[in-house]
Amino acid sequence: MQGGAVRSGDDLFLYVEDMFRQGVAHREAVAVAIAHEALVRNDIQAALAVDHELHAMKLGQESRVASQQMGRQVVKIAVEQPTAHVVLRDFNAAMEAERTPGHFPVALALTLADAGWNKAETIAAFCYQTAVGFVSAGLKLLPIGQREGQHLLERWMPMLDECAVRAAESSTMSAWSPIQDIYAMRHSRLESRLFRS
Amino acid sequence: MPILSVHQSALSEVGRVGRLDLHYARHGQRTILAHSRCSSPWHLFPPMYLDATGCAFTSLVNPSGGFVAGDQLSIHASLDRDAHAVLSTPSANRVYRSLGREARQTVTLSVASGAILEWFPEVMIPYSGSRFVQTIDVRLEKGATALIWDSLASGRMARGERWAFASLRNEIRITTASGERLLERYEMGPDPYSVGLVSTYDYVASFFVVSDSIDPTRWPPLRGIVADVLESLGSDLLGGVTEPTVPGMAVKLVARSSEVLVTVQERLWDATRRALCGFCRPSLRRY
Repeated sequence: MQGGAVRSGDDLFLYVEDMFRQGVAHREAVAVAIAHEALVRNDIQAALAVDHELHAMKLGQESRVASQQMGRQVVKIAVEQPTAHVVLRDFNAAMEAERTPGHFPVALALTLADAGWNKAETIAAFCYQTAVGFVSAGLKLLPIGQREGQHLLERWMPMLDECAVRAAESSTMSAWSPIQDIYAMRHSRLESRLFRS
Repeated sequence: MPILSVHQSALSEVGRVGRLDLHYARHGQRTILAHSRCSSPWHLFPPMYLDATGCAFTSLVNPSGGFVAGDQLSIHASLDRDAHAVLSTPSANRVYRSLGREARQTVTLSVASGAILEWFPEVMIPYSGSRFVQTIDVRLEKGATALIWDSLASGRMARGERWAFASLRNEIRITTASGERLLERYEMGPDPYSVGLVSTYDYVASFFVVSDSIDPTRWPPLRGIVADVLESLGSDLLGGVTEPTVPGMAVKLVARSSEVLVTVQERLWDATRRALCGFCRPSLRRY
């Protein structure tokens, strides 16, 4: 936003839609799908593999670290449940031993899969949560109010559904979002920032 | 299979399934091409020595002019200990229209300890209706250094042809001795949304510099210099630099003109070489 790419609610709508269609739907959401299947199949190696591959693909240092911090928090809370699934517990152990980076999409997928959510619901929840994050930032940084924020989420819903369906059918992660990647890289050099880094 | 069919099959592959093998070794003050082999359409030129560093400058020549449907070309280069090579191309990598099959290029680059590999091909131009798959796999031993540049044009802009290819898949994998990986993989198809916000630009490029032999405290100043270069080229260029998952630096940029792309590539290459190796950017005598 400070870089000038997003100045209004409509700009935010297009920026986030593009990021979902070319980036999140093909990378993070696919990681969610693969991780969900890993827990269902009781396959810790698949969960670790997708976590490592996602790590290798997340170029931007700040967004990579943020994803790991969020993932760590989710898994720590999830494994406090006495009935936590063995894959979730093994993933937490690997994370604590720094044998896996512990990215948020993987952590959320394992947690929701353990809670009984199906794959489609889990991917949709991840996409919706990510969109909500952008609205929250937009409310603080743009001249938009709660009502326009709600409206943005409503406008994105069909696109989020499409992304979730596409991700559920994919097994290979990819991403084409150079503009968003570049702005994420430039974030660390901004004079004022909403997010710590 | 009858002998005639085998021969016909083999003939149909001539000029379409080509392999280029390059093996560099350090010999005194110079890096030499210790072993090489190529099959059509690749053409092998001996390395040039353009400066006093002993670096072997190699031009990867494909006289066919580009990729057509079904082409399967590969490049396999390896650098022995302390070798130093620059691999480039004499002109843009054109990918022609295909009605069916994809054209493919597979690149594997192996770099031994103390060796420096610089991969700087000219821009890839995917024509309208083209289908292309490229994979670049870089493997670094402990103490090795790699500079990897990869750039893409939207098409033949002078013809009004922009982002009109049928499909494009590009993957760059860089793996260090410790097993850390950097992976860039994108895939675009006929989906009208597939180009996205980049559609207002005509060039996209990535620049990866990876080395576990560099003192880690030297990376932040270099990233600062690179960020200043990226910000110095005005509104015709948007770029960012970051610390990737491997020891080094990752740069991503988009540009509105080939002049800006060439300028930024030259400046980034020069800044990186000076900071890490103490050499200036070579003049490739291409034009």
